[in-house]
Amino acid sequence: MIPSIEFRGVSKFFGNIIALKDISFKVFKGEISALLGDNGAGKSTLIKLLSGVYMPSEGEILLSGEPVNFKSPRQAVSAGIGTVYQDLALQPLMSVTRNFFLGREITKGLFLNMPLMNTITKKEMAKLGIDVADPTQPIGTMSGGQRQTLAIARAIYFGANVLILDEPTSALGQKQQLEVLRTIKKVKELGDIAIIFITHNDLHAKLLGDRFAFLNRGKVLAEGSRDEIDMNNLRPLMAGGAELEKLEIEFSGR
Amino acid sequence: MASDERIRDIGLIRRSISRPELGSVFGLIIIVITFMTLTSISGTFGAMWLNPIGIQAWVELAAFVGILAIGASLLMIAGEFDLSMGANIALAGHSFAIFLLFGVPIELAIILTFLELAFLGFIIGVIVVRTGLPSFIVTLAFWFASRGFAVFLSQTFFNQSRLSVKANLKPPPGGGEDPTLIDNIFAFDKAFGVPFDAEVYYFIILVFIVAFITNRTPYGNWIYASGGDPVAARAVGVPVARVKISLFMISTSLACLLGILTVMTSGASDPKAGDFRELHAIAAAVIGGCALTGGYGSVVGAVLGALIFAIASRGINFVPFIDNNLFRVMLGMLILGSALLNQFLRDRIVKG
Repeated sequence: MIPSIEFRGVSKFFGNIIALKDISFKVFKGEISALLGDNGAGKSTLIKLLSGVYMPSEGEILLSGEPVNFKSPRQAVSAGIGTVYQDLALQPLMSVTRNFFLGREITKGLFLNMPLMNTITKKEMAKLGIDVADPTQPIGTMSGGQRQTLAIARAIYFGANVLILDEPTSALGQKQQLEVLRTIKKVKELGDIAIIFITHNDLHAKLLGDRFAFLNRGKVLAEGSRDEIDMNNLRPLMAGGAELEKLEIEFSGR
Repeated sequence: MASDERIRDIGLIRRSISRPELGSVFGLIIIVITFMTLTSISGTFGAMWLNPIGIQAWVELAAFVGILAIGASLLMIAGEFDLSMGANIALAGHSFAIFLLFGVPIELAIILTFLELAFLGFIIGVIVVRTGLPSFIVTLAFWFASRGFAVFLSQTFFNQSRLSVKANLKPPPGGGEDPTLIDNIFAFDKAFGVPFDAEVYYFIILVFIVAFITNRTPYGNWIYASGGDPVAARAVGVPVARVKISLFMISTSLACLLGILTVMTSGASDPKAGDFRELHAIAAAVIGGCALTGGYGSVVGAVLGALIFAIASRGINFVPFIDNNLFRVMLGMLILGSALLNQFLRDRIVKG
């Protein structure tokens, strides 16, 4: 199977700073690729490379086997890469429907087609397991988990076949974290979307991940499918630095 | 499984609480009852509420302030501010008068004045968007510059600061000559023989159009998003910069409309025209539920705010036992009270 996204020896430098060095990994559709790393590991830089904010200094990014070179976030979006940032890009005082369609409203002549947009919003949210009783209510009344789901549903509806989730659970309470994990699983079950799940929560990664990549100080320490990675070693891998040598030996045999 | 994730239903009361106009609806009811009571005590109830001249007094003021408040509220919803509105009324009036005195036909003079003021709005908008300076500062500069430039022009060309254009305007209908189309459009109070100034009719028409645009078009959505969270709005493809520039152009164009109407009805352009009106319009917008931080408010609320302002402002004249100066004290408290009430209502929405 051709990976939806493949990084081949990608590096990113900012002046003399090496943000990412020789990064390689693959992401397949219908799979959740967990990208783990502590703060400062280079996760943000990686997201920005994927979503077209930065261009790689070295190496190439392949989209369904074709090398791509996004010059702007807009290009990445139109190529089907949907990024859900931590801040979600939502307007708390606007309604659920208006948030869903903001910037891409459906109109009937000059005017908004609110009934149609309300229906679509309800339907798309239901696909991810959230029953929106009233899509005209302000989004401020939704829980953090539901907002996350809205941002994900929106990205999918507007054509994302690669979905990048930037720490979707980090700002939430326990119960809402589970809500979001459930949403992510639903997205996977849709079958045609490749999910990049960026997190520093090894528990969440273990729950959902089909493939794993460990990022530490700008390098991929280890990469592989569930079978290839020692699941019990997720936490030490996350810690990176301290156990670096040991881990390098452990994985060099692969 | 879906049912335990269900968003809880909100009732009609909660839903109406989340309307930004709510505070101003209460405010209007309170102010009307207050002044009905006060005028009853003073024996002036009929003079303020039943006599056409009494009604005219506050309705026309509400319309004048209301037209500006439409612009003020749109800008505030988008997170911006225009302090130069009042000064732009004088600039528009003087520009219009100067065009007329130079012999420009009235139709062309109106078009040129609108183009000039729209261009001014464009410049203000571009400065705000490009430099990132707070619009408060940028429009404060034009608060000085617009009126200053208007008076400078009239002093330079005509050696006077007040410009009379009575001779350049067509005599009113019934005054001998047939009224032209422009007379009908800009002074249709006279054309229709109804008691209100033209502002009142423009005001009503504009309120309907703008309320419809803000609630029912993508552009309206973008205005709210531009003020709510501009970064998030840009991330989903809202042209935030263009929205803001267009709103500054709307704001200056509304000032232009008032400037021209004032000249048409009074036959002269006064350098003091529109003085302090920007603050009255902003007060109306705040009373009407607009948040200074942007992203929240409504044009209908601002209109109700203008009505509250006008009733309180004119009503005080019908209540002799209250000192006129107390009006400003009252207005100040009204603004403060409304802002507090609106903040409370807004928090209710976010907290669910």
